[in-house]
Amino acid sequence: MNNVAGKWKWMALLCVSGMFLLPLLLMLLASVKPAEQLTGDPYSLLPDRVLFQNYRDALESIPYVKYLANSIVLCVGSVAGTLISCSLVAYGFSRLKWRGRNLMFAIMIGTMLLPWHVTMIPRFVLFSELGLYNHLAAIILPTFLGDAFYIFLLRQFFLSIPEEISEAARLDGLSELGIYWRIILPLSKPALITVAMFQFVASWNDFSGPLLYLSDHEKFPLAYGLEQFVSSYADQTHLLMAASVMFTLPMIILFVVAQKSFTRGITMTGSK
Amino acid sequence: MAAEARGIQRWSGWLFVSPWLLGLALLFVYPFVASLIWSFSEYDLLTSPRYIGTDHYERIASEIVQGKGFGKALWNTFYYAAVSIPLSTIMAICLAVMLNWQVRGQAIFRTLFYLPSMVPMVATSILWLWLLDPRDGMVNGLLSFFYEAPPLWFQGIQEGVSTSSPFQFGSKDGLTLMSLWGVGNFMLIYLAALGDIDGSLYQAAELDGAGSFQKFRHITLPMLSPIIFFNLILGIIQSVQAFTQVYLVSEGTGQPAESSLLISLQLFLAAFRDLEMGYASAIAWVLFVFLALMTWGLFRSSRNWVHYRGVRI
Repeated sequence: MNNVAGKWKWMALLCVSGMFLLPLLLMLLASVKPAEQLTGDPYSLLPDRVLFQNYRDALESIPYVKYLANSIVLCVGSVAGTLISCSLVAYGFSRLKWRGRNLMFAIMIGTMLLPWHVTMIPRFVLFSELGLYNHLAAIILPTFLGDAFYIFLLRQFFLSIPEEISEAARLDGLSELGIYWRIILPLSKPALITVAMFQFVASWNDFSGPLLYLSDHEKFPLAYGLEQFVSSYADQTHLLMAASVMFTLPMIILFVVAQKSFTRGITMTGSK
Repeated sequence: MAAEARGIQRWSGWLFVSPWLLGLALLFVYPFVASLIWSFSEYDLLTSPRYIGTDHYERIASEIVQGKGFGKALWNTFYYAAVSIPLSTIMAICLAVMLNWQVRGQAIFRTLFYLPSMVPMVATSILWLWLLDPRDGMVNGLLSFFYEAPPLWFQGIQEGVSTSSPFQFGSKDGLTLMSLWGVGNFMLIYLAALGDIDGSLYQAAELDGAGSFQKFRHITLPMLSPIIFFNLILGIIQSVQAFTQVYLVSEGTGQPAESSLLISLQLFLAAFRDLEMGYASAIAWVLFVFLALMTWGLFRSSRNWVHYRGVRI
């Protein structure tokens, strides 16, 4: 009886998995189909001929490598900024006692509830005045000023480290910066990895940042560069799909490799 | 020694949080004040802002009444939220319950169910634009067995949940479908919550002769209600902030006939296409107040249906 129920459950899970994966599979298949098959026989499932040539054509028809380089600069810069600023601030909010701390922390949580619409336009004006328009720095620099969500996540983690460790280090004459760098950070690797990965994914996917701040093709990251490709190559589905696969694959690989860090972060905080 | 340490902590605390303090000033306080002032001004980025009073807010009020501009975007956002949030809630709970089954390969299924949520929004949009193409799309290839005239999806103004054109899906329904495909984050939150439910509750119910459905209805659902509530608020915020996918499927215009013009895109276009920074700032403030009131109202009503540790408070 139990075994029968288990089989049904297993079948149901298999069916739903299929439904979720089918669109991805169709994308993958379309990326190796000949162009004439996609227009002439759009509902056919399997490619008439497997054309890996599509990938090379996609790489040549959009400046993929250039966009990829920009994406990497954006991701690495943003991850560095986030890790440095958020861990410092989280240390201040969790391992140190100072007057005004609770009030400041409450204000920080409050900023999370503010929709980005309210701050978007003045930020744009500010960054333009600072001469950052059309520079990747306009998107990277704010990450060096901390992000409430990541600060909150790291603070929760730092709070779980026993206070006695810090006390002992202080008695040994270690400065606060020393405790932060030599003790707290090494103990917090899992949380830091989670934050780094979230920010990496966010920067890789970011569309509105480049849309607002970048005007020069030379500086586009992949997410925004691909959009340009959509409008000019609307009838070249095979190339679009090949480019999309190349853009998506790093995220899928990252997730499969580091699934634990991801799911821990999502369930800990409620969102990505 | 202790006193000295406390003295150091007093100023080093401010030093450690100083990056965020700078961010607070530059990225929140200044923009907050500036956008409030600009919402009462005429401002086109090129010339300096000029005070004009409440004109923008009056314009927004009249647009709500007439159902165009902001009013149209408000309706679109409401429709999108009202359809996609309940559907994604039901779907996320069902998927989480399934992933909680103790079967072989559980970990693999969890990965597979979540995979679409890792696909970047830009790629998701490109993919679904193609799948939902009215003529060549795979989805309509399938639907053509059931429909004489298959839905127009991103090229149609229809609203699938309505009395005038039921099941004739248009642009907003396409966006809903996309959001359902990427429901993984909500699913994971429910999955974590399911793991927290005390197994003895189910055993007690079984002793009382409860079936699977009764257990779900009287144990699982009440125990999940705080998470449902949390996700409801998250869903509303996400609907109001939905931008990338809306921009991509409508080529940045909200077409056809403004049917996919959600609020974030309308604000963006007002600001950066029409250069009406004052009007756009006013929209942002209306949204801000609206979201704050909505969240407050939900928190008040939640006392009647959200169970904390099984106790109604």
